[in-house]
Amino acid sequence: MTALEWLRYDAWERLDPAEREARFAVLALERFRDQARTIAPYGAYVRHLGIDAVHDWRDIPPVPASAFKSHDLASIAPGSERVLFETSGTSISRPGRVRLGHTERYEASLLESFRRHLLPDAALMPAVVFGPTRAEAPRSSLWYMCDHVVSKLARGGAWIVRDGRPDWDLADRTLEAAMAEGTPVLVLGTTLLLASYCERPATRRLPPGSRVMDTGGAKGLRAEFAREEIERMIEGSLGIPPTHLVNEYGMAELASQFYDDSLRAHTEGRSPIPGKTVPPWVRSRVLDPETMKERPEGARGLLVHYDLANLETPFAVQTEDVGTLRDGRILIEGRLTGAEARGCSLTFERFLEEERRT
Amino acid sequence: MNPAFYLPLGLEEGLETTVQRFGPAHEALDLHLPVVQNEDLLRWIEVLREARGTNLAGRPIQEILRSLDKVTKRFLDRRDSARREAIESLATFGRFTAAMLERSIDDAFGPLARNGLQRWIVSELGSVQVLDRPAEGARGTIRRAHGPEWMLQIYAGNVPTLPVWPIYSALVLKAALLGKTSAREPLFAPLLARTIAEVDEKLGACLAVVWWKGGTGGLDRTALSSAPAVLAFGGEEATGSVARQAMPGAAVVLHGPKVSVGYVERHALTFAGIRGLAARAAHDVSMYDQDGCLSPHAFYVERRGQVSPEQFGEALAAALEEASKDLPPAVAEEEEGAGVQLARAQARFESAGIATVTRVLESPGSTAWTVIVDDRARFEPGPTRRTIRVHAVDGPDEVARVLTPAARSIEALGLEARGPERVKLAARFADLAIPRIAPVGSLQSPVPWGTHGGVPRLLPFVTWTTVEQTGGTPGPAKAPGAIRRRIRAAGIRRR
Repeated sequence: MTALEWLRYDAWERLDPAEREARFAVLALERFRDQARTIAPYGAYVRHLGIDAVHDWRDIPPVPASAFKSHDLASIAPGSERVLFETSGTSISRPGRVRLGHTERYEASLLESFRRHLLPDAALMPAVVFGPTRAEAPRSSLWYMCDHVVSKLARGGAWIVRDGRPDWDLADRTLEAAMAEGTPVLVLGTTLLLASYCERPATRRLPPGSRVMDTGGAKGLRAEFAREEIERMIEGSLGIPPTHLVNEYGMAELASQFYDDSLRAHTEGRSPIPGKTVPPWVRSRVLDPETMKERPEGARGLLVHYDLANLETPFAVQTEDVGTLRDGRILIEGRLTGAEARGCSLTFERFLEEERRT
Repeated sequence: MNPAFYLPLGLEEGLETTVQRFGPAHEALDLHLPVVQNEDLLRWIEVLREARGTNLAGRPIQEILRSLDKVTKRFLDRRDSARREAIESLATFGRFTAAMLERSIDDAFGPLARNGLQRWIVSELGSVQVLDRPAEGARGTIRRAHGPEWMLQIYAGNVPTLPVWPIYSALVLKAALLGKTSAREPLFAPLLARTIAEVDEKLGACLAVVWWKGGTGGLDRTALSSAPAVLAFGGEEATGSVARQAMPGAAVVLHGPKVSVGYVERHALTFAGIRGLAARAAHDVSMYDQDGCLSPHAFYVERRGQVSPEQFGEALAAALEEASKDLPPAVAEEEEGAGVQLARAQARFESAGIATVTRVLESPGSTAWTVIVDDRARFEPGPTRRTIRVHAVDGPDEVARVLTPAARSIEALGLEARGPERVKLAARFADLAIPRIAPVGSLQSPVPWGTHGGVPRLLPFVTWTTVEQTGGTPGPAKAPGAIRRRIRAAGIRRR
């Protein structure tokens, strides 16, 4: 089987857990050997760490996510990329770069997970993107993803952000038209942008079956509190219940995304399982930030992801994000971010997910 | 249970309070807080203004100073109940260890003792008497200083004793004060206010210190839209929002995010002196777990000394290990630890290739401290938690080059050099408009008669009455208000 076929849930679901683990190990070790050879700075890092042969995929050294800022971490020749994504920069660091010569794996992975979590009923509906088009934000992996979802999985789309500004009138008109026609809509966007739209005084009841994918967190609030607030806002302002609100976690450095189970659970008539789905071609590890040893199930720690959909850029990435694993699902823990969090000291690269990606 | 607020007598009556959990999830502390509504804030501001009129506006400055001196003495007395309570409750809160708090309290109140408070006032206003009546001030002019009717102060939580000088400054300017604490450290300011009230009821009547959730509801707007004077510490976003919402014409001083750095000249790099130098550098790094604006994030160390920059890095690592015993770090939240590990991994990644990082030294099995030795100058603030970069340099020019674009973000430079070299280097770095240049080891002990962020601590909030004498002009006196305008032009009112 080619690697592309492993970017499907059913390919893994056919295997029993032991087979899955073994299959992942084989593919991961193979990917590691390739990347140590083809991504020069990664190869130098591996040699510098004195790593010769790796037998357990857990021993594969991840690259720090920040290395995308300092190094060109693509296996392809400079200038040969088809897309170039930027991660966030700060006033003191330039943005990171993710160069891809081939987008098939990225697209296969993103469509597969999106379909599974947003369209478990195979619905086809028009999309409303609370964000810019890919043409307007060519270096954003998030808006690339939304563009691709609209072109492959939706019946046309409207983009609310134009020339860098949200056009709320356009959003009003689009949603009201959908209500008049009784057509359910697929809403995609950042949590922050959706929340600011929902803060405007208006109560809509979008047709049943309408759903929202939001990404990112809510500034200044611990995620677990903020989430209820977001759910209330979306339900109050758009009439979309929490069962049809699906939060996504992703980053430009990873080709794959992680989604809530809410809509899938609703479609299957069960209660949702907490946390986000780790696609079977991805492994997420939770490490104790003090010792860098694996933490037990349910304990908080820093996240390291191994994503087999990353072919041309390192597939093992160490993040600054904190979360826990429970039953193979990942719970991203919010940080105390924003105004009060850091006092008057200047800290390096503390950004919300959508800022990192857009 | 910890009442994490202070309100003058009478205002607490009928007040609804709530218990709120603060701090990291695993060791959150329950604090008693008032439920603050817009109407409450408006009423408190009214009560504070009235109390100021009755108790403070006409009060002789010497009386105020005497009371504040008593408060200072109490906090400097290791057996005093206020000091003990501060250390115990803040240590329980977990952001700072007891040893760190002892040191922080000494650093904040020490310079105010033995007439330090007077010296501070005189350094800025020319004399203490100008706060009571027209008196001879600088350049022989006869002037009277007026503080604002009341001040809004918004504190950051990175340094526990940060509110001390601001609270004193409001009272010596005879201004009532509404203080807003940070969720990261909501305890010290109310405790200080309560101690002031214990020592001097009338001063206590003019103070209120509470916490409310910043950026939510209309509370910020309510307070900011009527405050004639605002002093705020915080991140870019918080200070930016203060600037936007402040009342037109208000005296506003904002202290945004900043860090510090150090510079070591090669003659100071001797075998005999390296341990002492490293210990002083380690102290500057370790205080407040490097979360203060006076915390150095990089030392630029000259090559060609008796001790090489790399050896300085090794000595600093050993000194940081020592310091972690004397000033133990607080338990890191996972987010902080994750930031340190990312910085370490990044440094190792850079040391692998043709990049210039040569060494990564770290506390074994913990994130207590990290030293990253780099063979070239750059400015890259780290994740705090005592993560320090040591950059080898040939001289100040290459340091000036990397600091210039970031000069706005630098609060102080610790300078280790002797004699004429020190003078020359200080002049070189003063060119960058870095607000403070101090010896390595004393970065964390500023004095109130210095500036904060290059801005005096009293003057921006003072307006003057000048009494001109007939028959003679005492030289080219500046027009009233010129001083504040100059400060604003220097960029403290950021947007």
